[in-house]
Amino acid sequence: MKSSNSVKRNIIWHRRLGLSIFLLLIFLAISGFALNHSPALKLNKISLSNSWLLSWYGLEKPLIKGFKLDDKWLYENGNNLLYVDRQAVAPCSPPLLSVAKSTNILYALCADSLHLLTDNGQLLESFSQLDELPVNARAISAADNSLYLITDSAVLEFDPDSLALQPAEIDSASLNALTASLPVPEFLMQQLEENTGPSISLETVILDLHSGRFFGQFGVLIMDIVGLLICILSITGLFAWINRLRQIKQ
Amino acid sequence: MFKNLFNNLFNKAIYTGLLTITLLASPQLSARGVYQSGPDFIAEVFTPQQPEAGVLWFNDNIREQAEKILGHRVLGLRVRYHHSAGKSAWILNEIGKEMPITIGVVIDQGKISSVKILAYRESRGGEVRYPAYMAQYQGATLTDSYKLDKSIDGITGATLSVWAVNKVAALALYYHSQVASQPQ
Repeated sequence: MKSSNSVKRNIIWHRRLGLSIFLLLIFLAISGFALNHSPALKLNKISLSNSWLLSWYGLEKPLIKGFKLDDKWLYENGNNLLYVDRQAVAPCSPPLLSVAKSTNILYALCADSLHLLTDNGQLLESFSQLDELPVNARAISAADNSLYLITDSAVLEFDPDSLALQPAEIDSASLNALTASLPVPEFLMQQLEENTGPSISLETVILDLHSGRFFGQFGVLIMDIVGLLICILSITGLFAWINRLRQIKQ
Repeated sequence: MFKNLFNNLFNKAIYTGLLTITLLASPQLSARGVYQSGPDFIAEVFTPQQPEAGVLWFNDNIREQAEKILGHRVLGLRVRYHHSAGKSAWILNEIGKEMPITIGVVIDQGKISSVKILAYRESRGGEVRYPAYMAQYQGATLTDSYKLDKSIDGITGATLSVWAVNKVAALALYYHSQVASQPQ
């Protein structure tokens, strides 16, 4: 009678344990299978850049700032490239200091170069410090069909045809230079993130979920308990099977 | 006695350390740098003459051929050069491994008369700027397949920089041929 009770209890606990962890067991089996075949499934090539996931992993999305000129956004992508809207147009050492438009030419002043662009955003040519762009250039401003380059100590007039710089007799305070950059709108940021932003591979996420690390120390502890429960489940299962055999023999 | 021995060993260790650091750092220190500005290079090439500045605008054919020579997209809609009496000087950028190398190429009567590295930004491979290497380009012309007609000896450890200089030299020859064929 006593033994029949203990057999019953064993089966009840076996069922309870099985029911309580069966979802986790299925997940562990599937994720383990996926990790075993990760190279074939190319899980390490699948990048996830969901903002919730990135913040969960403590990765910051870079804040890209730029300038809106007419209907175009000009910005440095955080990877040394000047973008006009969605198109990379020229190398650009950050920061993008200033932009201006004069007589159908867009100008973008990066830390080490001045880029001349057509009004539809194509690069005409670049004028760099090697071409004697002043090292301390900090802003550009268009006024009266001329482009002025403002340095810490002087204002220079820039000729886009000859790429020559001449001292200009104009006060920098009277020039309206666009130097205050604004955060780039979300639709452009999304495209940037897809191409160059921080991301986490699907393989890493599955591995962290499989081990419980995804939920920190608590998750690891849960997975440890699940591992222990799997052992208990196998033992109770084995006992149930042995008892079944005994009953059949009797 | 032990004190002297210890001092000697300590001094030797310091000297060896400093020598190692110097040797390790020297290729990097010597590789990177701006060696000459564009206007200085032009002035040096044409002195005592005063060169004229010119602009070569890219049409579809020029762009296509330039992209074939470089093996990648060409940025910009025009390229600037200086010329005087059949001689033209071009300052072009091309990426070696990761950073652009600024290269000045002088073409005289359809042949390369000199090539010079004006700025080198990679940490290794700066040996391409040595005159003995650059002298190999002298007299090179463009073949029908838009390659240099001279074989240029490579430099171990600077392969990508050598390729970059080769491409720029061929490109400058091509640009020169386009300028020469255009009505002035």
